[in-house]
Amino acid sequence: MNAVWSAILIIGLIILMIIDPNNAFATMLDGSEKAISLSIKLWAVYALWLGILQIIEDTRLSKVFQKVLSPLINLLFPNADEYTKEQIAINIASNILGMGNACTPSGINAIGGLAGKRNRINSNIATMIMFNTANIQLIPTTIIGIRVLHQSIAPSSIIIPTIITSLASVVLGVVCCKLCGKMFDRGESK
Amino acid sequence: MSAYFLPMIIIALVLYSVYKRQNAYSSFVNGAKSSWELIITTFPYIVAILVVVAVYNASGLNIYVSKILSPVLGILGMPVELAELIILKNFTGGGSIAILEEIFVKYGVDSYIGRCASVVMASSEAIFYITAVYFAKTKIERYGYLIPLCLLINLFSAVIACMMCRWI
Repeated sequence: MNAVWSAILIIGLIILMIIDPNNAFATMLDGSEKAISLSIKLWAVYALWLGILQIIEDTRLSKVFQKVLSPLINLLFPNADEYTKEQIAINIASNILGMGNACTPSGINAIGGLAGKRNRINSNIATMIMFNTANIQLIPTTIIGIRVLHQSIAPSSIIIPTIITSLASVVLGVVCCKLCGKMFDRGESK
Repeated sequence: MSAYFLPMIIIALVLYSVYKRQNAYSSFVNGAKSSWELIITTFPYIVAILVVVAVYNASGLNIYVSKILSPVLGILGMPVELAELIILKNFTGGGSIAILEEIFVKYGVDSYIGRCASVVMASSEAIFYITAVYFAKTKIERYGYLIPLCLLINLFSAVIACMMCRWI
């Protein structure tokens, strides 16, 4: 992360100094401002969804998700504790329902539970990230919405290709994570 | 149809909460309370990503990097016009929506390129963003094989996306 971030920042700023020095810092400030407005939007999303998710937890419905998804979760995350498994279940369920940014709170809790006090990555953590980057969802509402705005004649024609693509990449991703885990995870008490 | 989906789930949930004799209102308030802490934790990571994306786009690095990736896409049988989108969407999902709309305007929303771009966008999330934000509460600093692996899988998923758009 550090390497990619630093490299892009240094090279980008050098180019900016050559082509447009007056706006170099303003560009960065602009990015920072965008982060503020995005965060305010996200705050609204998090507040609403964390409220709803708390109702789900208090009614013990999350245990039902966990039970339905348990074969998958036990297969992929055999060492996780009960709380972490529940958070993983909520995260996968909210991904599938297409909640977008609302997946973040449970995802952060799940990763926190899987990581514990470790400072190194392991295959379980990588698998969880893979699930979230593959964006498995029944209906890709955001993109369909944009297609409708652009007067598409078949806005939802992308649903099936999207589901197949997500599933294919998550399956390959998880297999690769587990393989990489076998090769690179050291000092893990399996 | 999907417009009815979420309201119906929420109605069912609140009804279930009443049936379970839970206080839905106080549950909601308790959950929403933790949003402040969450946004404070994730904010620095969002700033870091969006600042670097701003520099990346303003400096024209996006165009150079797309030019490097284009021949690779050609070899993989994908439209080279997608290069910029495929790279930027690794950093920010929201930020690459502008590129998606550009593609829709330039090539048509129902063209092969427009459909490919839609599926590419819909079938994956921003790796750098997700990784940074999701690790916010851990002590993990070295990501090891995670980022290279994710980038590779993302490229693979883009290849699949274009194949699916051709067949379906």
